[in-house]
Amino acid sequence: MQLFLAQLPQQLVNGLTLGAVYALIALGYSMVYGVLGLLNFAHGDVYMVGAFIGYGVFSVLVPVSTPLIPAALVIAVMLLIAMLGTGLLGVGIEWIAYRRLRNAPRIAPLISGLGVSFFLQNAILLTQSAKYRTYRTELLIPSSWRLDFGVAQLSATRILVIAVAVLLMIGLTWLVQRTRLGRAMRAVSIDREAAAMMGVDVDRVILLTFFIGSALAGTAGVLVGLVFNQVWHFMGFTAGLKGFTAAVLGGIGNIPGAMLGGLVLGMVETLAVGFISSTYKDVIAFVVLVLVLLIKPSGLLGTRAPQKV
Amino acid sequence: MSVDKFGQDEWVSQVGTRRRDETRLQLFIRRLRELPRLVQIGLLIALPLALPLLTANDYVLRVAGLICLYSVLALGLNIVVGFVGLLDLGYVAFFGMGGYGYALLSSAQFNIHVPTLISVPLMGLLAAGMGILLGLPSLRLSGDYLAIVTLGFGQVFVQLTTAMNRVQFPGSDQVINLTGGPNGIPDLDRLHVFGLSASSVTAYYYVLLASLVIVLIFVYRLNQSRLGRAWRAIREDSLAAEAMGIPTNRLRLLGFAIGAGIAGIMGAIFAAWQQSVFPGNFDVTLLITLYAMVVLGGVGSLYGMVLGAFVITALPEVLRPGTQIAGMELAQIAFYGGTLALLTILIRPRWRLVPILAALAVGGVIIHAVFAGLAPDALLVPDEKLSLISNLVQHWLPIPLNVPLATNLGNLAFFAVVILLVLLTQVPKNARIFPLIVTLYLLAFVWETRLSKEPSTTNLLLTGAMLVILMNYRPQGLFGQRRVEIA
Amino acid sequence: MPPLLQIDHVSKHFGGLQVVRDLSFSVEPGQIVSLIGPNGAGKTTVLNLITGLYRPDDGRILFEDRELVKLTPHQITERGIARTFQSLRLFLNMSVIENVMAAAYSHTQAQLWQIVLRTPFYRAEEARIRQLAEEKLAFFGERLQGYRFDQPAYSLSYANRRRLEIARAMATNPKLLLLDEPAAGMNPNETLELTDLIGELRTRGNYTILIIEHDMQVIEGVSDKVIALDYGEKIAEGSYQDVVSNERVIEAYLGRKHGNSKSARPPSTNSSTD
Repeated sequence: MQLFLAQLPQQLVNGLTLGAVYALIALGYSMVYGVLGLLNFAHGDVYMVGAFIGYGVFSVLVPVSTPLIPAALVIAVMLLIAMLGTGLLGVGIEWIAYRRLRNAPRIAPLISGLGVSFFLQNAILLTQSAKYRTYRTELLIPSSWRLDFGVAQLSATRILVIAVAVLLMIGLTWLVQRTRLGRAMRAVSIDREAAAMMGVDVDRVILLTFFIGSALAGTAGVLVGLVFNQVWHFMGFTAGLKGFTAAVLGGIGNIPGAMLGGLVLGMVETLAVGFISSTYKDVIAFVVLVLVLLIKPSGLLGTRAPQKV
Repeated sequence: MSVDKFGQDEWVSQVGTRRRDETRLQLFIRRLRELPRLVQIGLLIALPLALPLLTANDYVLRVAGLICLYSVLALGLNIVVGFVGLLDLGYVAFFGMGGYGYALLSSAQFNIHVPTLISVPLMGLLAAGMGILLGLPSLRLSGDYLAIVTLGFGQVFVQLTTAMNRVQFPGSDQVINLTGGPNGIPDLDRLHVFGLSASSVTAYYYVLLASLVIVLIFVYRLNQSRLGRAWRAIREDSLAAEAMGIPTNRLRLLGFAIGAGIAGIMGAIFAAWQQSVFPGNFDVTLLITLYAMVVLGGVGSLYGMVLGAFVITALPEVLRPGTQIAGMELAQIAFYGGTLALLTILIRPRWRLVPILAALAVGGVIIHAVFAGLAPDALLVPDEKLSLISNLVQHWLPIPLNVPLATNLGNLAFFAVVILLVLLTQVPKNARIFPLIVTLYLLAFVWETRLSKEPSTTNLLLTGAMLVILMNYRPQGLFGQRRVEIA
Repeated sequence: MPPLLQIDHVSKHFGGLQVVRDLSFSVEPGQIVSLIGPNGAGKTTVLNLITGLYRPDDGRILFEDRELVKLTPHQITERGIARTFQSLRLFLNMSVIENVMAAAYSHTQAQLWQIVLRTPFYRAEEARIRQLAEEKLAFFGERLQGYRFDQPAYSLSYANRRRLEIARAMATNPKLLLLDEPAAGMNPNETLELTDLIGELRTRGNYTILIIEHDMQVIEGVSDKVIALDYGEKIAEGSYQDVVSNERVIEAYLGRKHGNSKSARPPSTNSSTD
């Protein structure tokens, strides 16, 4: 118990970081589910590609051990290029894997997405090999930069991760609640055909949803690289499952829910790993998923609409 | 009364036209189906039965056994995906449960040796029971949840088998090695029934072939019965099915459990065949491969499953480097031949193929000449000793001599090809010719520098791409019935 | 004799919208009862409540004096209530005969092992439901006969699909048939024929029928009793003549006497699907 209390603050800080990342991934799932009613199985791999784009930019801008441009700028460029790249990847995925299948049986886009996921994993395997790639974050953010609260320490990298995630979530909430695009997105998610008849360019809204959701996942990939340093071609699979769990936990299709679900899952997982065992780290998310489905399938913030017959 | 004769027989009157529209493959299949049942079965069974007499090559028999195994797995998966219409992504974990269960009951791990006649059916029951446990929370929701729960289960299974070599139960200091961790469990008992023990490759081949025949009959009969009809009704419209007195949830669960049970039994047989189990035997790769078989063969079609399994199992054998035909690499023939065949199918009108190929050939030679002029020492030189195709290719594609350089360029070209292919689907038809030529040229470069060097990854890439392309352009696969989705 | 179906003070709301309000009526064995009312009056919701697709907030639904609320739809069908759908929900990619045979599920017993071994019991049962399906399809004369058996349901004309839906419902061996706008999308001739058919369903098929219909010709031709709904409330009940001349019914369809023409919803004799 003593030990538990002593470690708790640090675990909470770690959980917050992980939760921020899960929330970013969960947002993409929830947005696409909201607009298309579709699980995007390739989403986890978009996140993985984001991590590799970040790694690529890093290798170009920091060829040896000193950055060619100021460190802050390196991070900004990594994030921006990863966002743009994964956003476009999301658009490409919508084009080739989902667009033709919007009215197909439900199982068809799922299998198609599974194929994309597998293709992306192996595309990275082919071109980047199966090696772990290491983000040398200490070249950009010295590990001595940290806030020390005595009971817990918060490194600058973690602050950055949390700050970027929070900023993006505020931006997204503003976008969905306050802009024309946001209104169009909400309209499409309620009734796609009716929205089309009211003059909403449904194809464009869906593409932008994919772009934004994927860009968030791509950002998450870079942030994970910065905090946990190692990236490899298979990282998207587990992360995708966790992002989905977070989305379901918060209430799938619900944007604040995805954020909350991500944070809760991150906390739960970190605490479980810290106090039980790290061997079964990924089992925890699965247990959470099954429990949510058993106890409250609509999630923390979700509501269920009555089914029209 | 003849009130609504008008328009009523449209579909029937078009039967002739539709028959004429069918492809040669469909015609062949229809002829095959019109043969008497016994002849059909005889034809299907005779060759596989006689295979061990025709070849003494263990390797061939092993591949044939693998095809049988995958066919059975595909047939089981097809019950869930094709009949009930659920996405089961934990199927391989059920297969793995069978494998590991058999391993624990038939090895020196805990020194337990259970008779085959008990252990193998037990694995089927175990996997089916697990399927029911997993299906219960998710099936009453929507099919999507089942997909994600089973996907998670599959991943958890692999992680547990990898991690459970040091299990410590609460309240006990003893550390138990349950699964052997990454090293798996070796030295499993062979299948043994009534004093007979399956020890040769041929014996296991016959075991697998017999499983295939049994499962084929099993699935065929299920499909014809009230259960099959109810499943199809659920797949078509589960709400209407429920309203027609079909207990949809219970039957979904039943289909899911039957699929899992078949996987469990085959897992046990597979473990005995391989005489060992490893976590890597049961990962996502196998899952995707099985889905590729089901989708390629045609969801819902029984013949299709066997054919799908055949094609997908043969693919890595074709890509395997070193197999030669008339002095030429089989993989290379397959790549260039396959691409050409695909173009012939896809490009309409067909004469357009001529200018495309001509431009490709001439352009390539010119580009090669330019590079050869600029940096004559940096390129691979055509060599008379090489095969005809390789020789031609090296007059046509400038491939750097420096291997790391070639690899890096190949990687870049790979991404370019993927992006170009995605864009090609978005541009109007008549603007496609030039980008298509560039794409094909780059593709050849990627093949020579990367794909042919990494056959196993190439195989997986093809599998993934095939799933996407089939779902989008030919969801019924080779043998399936095209489904009509209208209101 | 107790009523076959008794709706007892049933209410249902979706969010803030009260769709069915304190509704009570009963259907006697052998009767044909019609449910009419303007669009959005809650007629289909009543059917969904009876068949268990929705659960009422309040009230009881009794079938042969046994409570139906809390049963799943398939259990209700097993008890002897079958329905058709307004928006046609056939098993499109199954053959005509299979559509009907699939609906016989609840009164077949063959177990997995019997199916796999093709025991005599299983064969006999299959033969029986095949015969049953052919009988039910024979109700519609030549239209769904012979070569049509093996055609996929999607190849049927609209009117034939409606007929197939009725045949499919009949194959569950119901005592009570619920028909949701069976004449929607049919031409006048087909409608006329349908009216005869519904009568025959009672005389030859021995079904009790609850029917929702906009087409007043059909209602007039078949109903023993008509119940009019508006905004989820029963506003009139009685014979066809009584109900159509009832002031509240006319008001519900045509709007109040002094203007408000916007909400005018005349009963059409040639209604369309919605």
